[in-house]
Amino acid sequence: MKKRRCKLLSIILLLLVLLSGCWDQKQVDKRAYVYAVGMDMADEENKFNITYLIVNPEYGSQVSSNTNESPQELITFETNDLMTSKNIANVVIAKEITYDLLRVVIVSEKLAKDKRFIRWMYDATKDREIRRDSYFIVTKENVSTFLKVNKPKLETRLDQYFELILKRGIDNGMIPDMDLHRFFNITEADADLALGIYGTTQGNNEDTGKVEDQLLAGELKIKGETNATQFLGSALFKEGQMIGKLNAEETRITILLNDTLEMSDVLTTYPDPFDKDFRIAARLIKKQKNKVNMKIKNGSGEINVTIPLIIEILSDHSMVNYGRNAEKRKELKKKIEDNLSAKINDFVKKTQEEYKGEPFGWSLLSRRHFKTLSEYEKFDWMKTYPTMKVNVKVDVRFGEFGKQGEVPNLKRVRD
Amino acid sequence: MLKNLVSFISDKFKIKNDYPEQLSTDDIKLKEQNIDTSLKKNIETFERIYFIPDNTDVKIRHLFIPGINKKAAIIYISSIMDTKIIEETVIRPLQNNQHTTIEITNIISAESVSTAEKIKDALKEINKGSCALFIDGEDQVYLIGAANFQGRSIEKPENEVSLLGPKEAFNEKAMTNISLIRKKIKNENLIIEATTISKRSKDELYIVYVKDLVNEELLKNIKDRLNTIDMDIIQNLSILEQIIEERPKSIFPTILNTERPDRAAYFLEDGFIVLIMENSPSALILPATFWSFFHSADDRYQRFLYANFTRVIRGSALFITIFISAIYVSVTNYHAEMVPSDLLLAISATREKVPFPTFIEVLMMESAFELIREAGLRVPNPIGPTIGIVGALILGQAAVQANIVSPIVVIVVALSGLSSFAIGDISMNFAIRIIRFGMIIAGGVLGIYGMAAIFTIGLFYVVSIKSFGVPYLAPMTPKYISSNDTIFRKLTKNERFRPGYLKPKDVTKKAGDS
Amino acid sequence: MEQHTGKIGIREYIAMVILMIGTKLADDLPSILFQKLENAAWFTPIIAGFISIIPIFFLIKVLSQYPKTNLMEILQIILGKPIGYLFVFMLWIMGLAANTFDTAIYTDIIGTMYFTETPTIFIYIVLMAVSAYGAKKGLEQIGSVAASVITYIKVSLFIALILAFSNGNINYIFPIFGPGKWEVVKESSLKVSLYIDFIYLGVIASYVSSTKAFTKGTWISLIIVIIEIPIAMLAYLCLFDYESVKLLNYPFHETIRYISLGFLTNIETFFFPFWLLASFVRFSIYLYISAVMFGWLFKIKNFEYLIPPFATLLVILGMIPETPTFTVADMKAKALSFATPTFFFLPLILWSIMKIRGGNKNEKKEM
Repeated sequence: MKKRRCKLLSIILLLLVLLSGCWDQKQVDKRAYVYAVGMDMADEENKFNITYLIVNPEYGSQVSSNTNESPQELITFETNDLMTSKNIANVVIAKEITYDLLRVVIVSEKLAKDKRFIRWMYDATKDREIRRDSYFIVTKENVSTFLKVNKPKLETRLDQYFELILKRGIDNGMIPDMDLHRFFNITEADADLALGIYGTTQGNNEDTGKVEDQLLAGELKIKGETNATQFLGSALFKEGQMIGKLNAEETRITILLNDTLEMSDVLTTYPDPFDKDFRIAARLIKKQKNKVNMKIKNGSGEINVTIPLIIEILSDHSMVNYGRNAEKRKELKKKIEDNLSAKINDFVKKTQEEYKGEPFGWSLLSRRHFKTLSEYEKFDWMKTYPTMKVNVKVDVRFGEFGKQGEVPNLKRVRD
Repeated sequence: MLKNLVSFISDKFKIKNDYPEQLSTDDIKLKEQNIDTSLKKNIETFERIYFIPDNTDVKIRHLFIPGINKKAAIIYISSIMDTKIIEETVIRPLQNNQHTTIEITNIISAESVSTAEKIKDALKEINKGSCALFIDGEDQVYLIGAANFQGRSIEKPENEVSLLGPKEAFNEKAMTNISLIRKKIKNENLIIEATTISKRSKDELYIVYVKDLVNEELLKNIKDRLNTIDMDIIQNLSILEQIIEERPKSIFPTILNTERPDRAAYFLEDGFIVLIMENSPSALILPATFWSFFHSADDRYQRFLYANFTRVIRGSALFITIFISAIYVSVTNYHAEMVPSDLLLAISATREKVPFPTFIEVLMMESAFELIREAGLRVPNPIGPTIGIVGALILGQAAVQANIVSPIVVIVVALSGLSSFAIGDISMNFAIRIIRFGMIIAGGVLGIYGMAAIFTIGLFYVVSIKSFGVPYLAPMTPKYISSNDTIFRKLTKNERFRPGYLKPKDVTKKAGDS
Repeated sequence: MEQHTGKIGIREYIAMVILMIGTKLADDLPSILFQKLENAAWFTPIIAGFISIIPIFFLIKVLSQYPKTNLMEILQIILGKPIGYLFVFMLWIMGLAANTFDTAIYTDIIGTMYFTETPTIFIYIVLMAVSAYGAKKGLEQIGSVAASVITYIKVSLFIALILAFSNGNINYIFPIFGPGKWEVVKESSLKVSLYIDFIYLGVIASYVSSTKAFTKGTWISLIIVIIEIPIAMLAYLCLFDYESVKLLNYPFHETIRYISLGFLTNIETFFFPFWLLASFVRFSIYLYISAVMFGWLFKIKNFEYLIPPFATLLVILGMIPETPTFTVADMKAKALSFATPTFFFLPLILWSIMKIRGGNKNEKKEM
């Protein structure tokens, strides 16, 4: 009897839980998925404008292909933080806002340069749903405009577009592989400079006259009917505040020097040493890690870096035929090494003088030279770096010279 | 207060007994008596017992034996014996007898003749298909074995299909079944002990074991448990199984029921005990561990690699059956972030128009699947396939089109339903299917946390189960010397040990040892 | 049949010990250690492990002198009735406190990392109900469950750590000595009590199949946890760097949230159930040990019946602290330092008194 009653009681309890419980239960279709969060300066002090890019799952799916709904919804409003904004958004959005699919955090340049920016940024670590591996992007214009103008032609939804274009850009080395995790990490370590992916939709129609490597997002002139968005270069952060921009070339140099950043498919051009009118196309392959030699003396130090590079020459506009000519190859190698080293050293100097910090992750390597944290902290890498002597050398090895190693003799062709 | 209420209700609903119980003490007393010397009296007694002539297939034939000049009579049940044998070996020799001093047993040329002095014993034999011969003036009865019960011949196994193994299955005749086992183990140590287990129908149970392997204590344990049975009728092994198992309410079976004689023989050789009964097209193997339900006969016959591949498939089928629907429920309700974004959006899109929450949706489809399955089993053969088509096509397709379920749920449920068929054993199959529902509920209430909780409880439960003293997960945990035939099996030549958890008399399998 | 001996084999024993102590790497223990020692925190489990060899060695010495006797009785035999009783009571109180802290922390992990809106009490009840069910099944069953799941738990941990290392940067471990060599040694030796669970193993020592198995099992599991915990802490360090890892409450759970495997970007739900399994088994063991000790203290023979009330008590106690993430972690950090002397000196004292009194005189009486 007693046992029966006990059983009955437990069944009732279970039913009660079943009926009333399920606190965290959220139906997938009853949620609005924010794919990108944008942060802009607001008019009001100590608040910021937030922009939500909410994707519409129904758009482009087979089941409901006859829907007339738009692929995404875009809203912008003023908010105090990243959390309460979820509720405010429900004034216009019918479903519960979730950051489950949040992959991109976008900040406008203006806000990124603000001192208060980092305070708001740390909201992202508080919310359970925001993942630390979301991309971190800085835009030239306001994020609200950036997302509004952004209209990919071939991808059905913006989320697919972002996923693909960022992946490609990172592989190409045009933009750095930066996520929130890295950003927070570097900011907290307070020794290096952090990077952000730089993008814009504001095209610059004037010809800048720069080689494509030296461009920043928005400066590349592309004609035709396509999306106005460009991702190129990176934003430089010091202590959680944006202090500058790196163009494509500088971004690539940074990636070359920083072993924790990766690029896999890098094509670039160099001035042709044999004909000043042309540039040669080359593929950069970096298989080994940099050799970094550091000498830390009290208060200052010296850094010697050797970058091992494999270069494949892809074009031969001056028709030199490197494949057959060892002499010319040697010359070319020397020229490329000099050219690259010069550029890199210039850039390193620039970081020392202008930015007073480096985005190369050298502070990490320097840690090996200290025994205790207090020594390391006393050394204060960020402060000491500008006074250091840095010397970067490039060690080039040639790979292949294109699929077909030779080009015909120009004179004979012209005959 | 409650007690009063209960007694009040039970008083109200007490069934009125219209037929007063008749006492059968007279009959019992009658059956206890000895055979009388008077033929006439004996015949009368038996006519009374068998309700002749109401009872049509019980026959009495009166004879006169020349030579010794005695009256005789034979009583038999014509439906369960071979009348031809009686005619050739009993009636004809008796009637043609010319010797005057010969013993009756020498006249009869039947293969087995025994005598009985008690009516009770004679009845027992007659009921089993013997022919009883009464001679006037003798206080004993001759019982001539000529039983011939009608039944199937040996057919192919239907539930435990094997591709490479023998194709014989047990049938409803105990002697055939024993013969099938003896065919596989030709050894004098193979013992077939018979005991009667029911009071009224006197059902006989054969305990089969290999004398020099089986653990005596285990055997004693089983015999003790059989002796404590207090039942009037136990028709077959399936019912016996429910009576002798340790935890009748447990979700997991603890006695293996097989219809394959080769499997029974294999287990016998490992020191297990096999029970065989008349009217049961199967044998019970005890004790049974989880693994014996998980394995199939083909695992033994297929080559090492193929067998283990099959085990992997079966293992994943087990996993899918139990977890997939529950995972779907908990992931879509609680852990949406773990789904790759494209898939999540796809799920979300398909669910947009579905009115039910995922939990209800999955439960509904799972129940529908079980329904189709059960109905399909009971449906008469000719329209069986139709039910399948109606169920799968119409129900699934139409439900999706009517926006009652989302297509992904159909995939998930179909997958879990299909996978459940990979577990061959019927009992274990049921267990898995029931657990699946528990998991779905747990997943619906607390997501992965709920599932992990239920799983842990289940695991604690499984390890606490014992089948005749053998832990359910042995030899995986606790560890015993054995061939480690659990999830994977070893190379056949490396399977050198009999399962240690049985404590067999001889634990190593050496050549020429068994 | 003599299968039902109630003893556990060495495999089961090792699995249980590893789950008891190894699971600590996935709660707030790393975060407590990171607070003081920053990037050198991973030394702590190693140094503490080596120091704890001494007390464990003497504990085993004492225990092997009295086979078939549990720790409580040994304490009483060696220290005399009243003092022994007092010590057992103290150990029990310490165990109860540790249990309360731990269950509260684990509930908090589940609540803050996975089920934010579910009421804490409900999560707590489920956690304790499952553990109590397991504990009530008995030590043999707990051992079996531990042995059957340990491989999967460790494989999942291994995968998580591999992924963490491949995403991390090994340079984060430098400067190698963190706040300084002596600081590291000092702090580490204060935290020896991280292995205090080994004392409680004395309670169940007599259930292990043989003294040899107990000795061997204890050493093997000590070696495994000494390797396992630092590696996990290194993985957190390499993934997050010392500044960030200090900010995290539950590094293991942040780790499994960050790592990704191919196209599956969010895989924490793969690791979460394994962690849960480990936690359930862990608390089953603790509940069982607590119940055994309490049963002995108050001469209650069927101590299994104490387990459900115990679990209830833990829920009630564990619900008291506000924001357990910080309050309990603080208390736990203090308790860790406080328990160290007990752990270190108790076996030493036991052993020396035993030696002074000239070995185990009561051996024969006991048998």
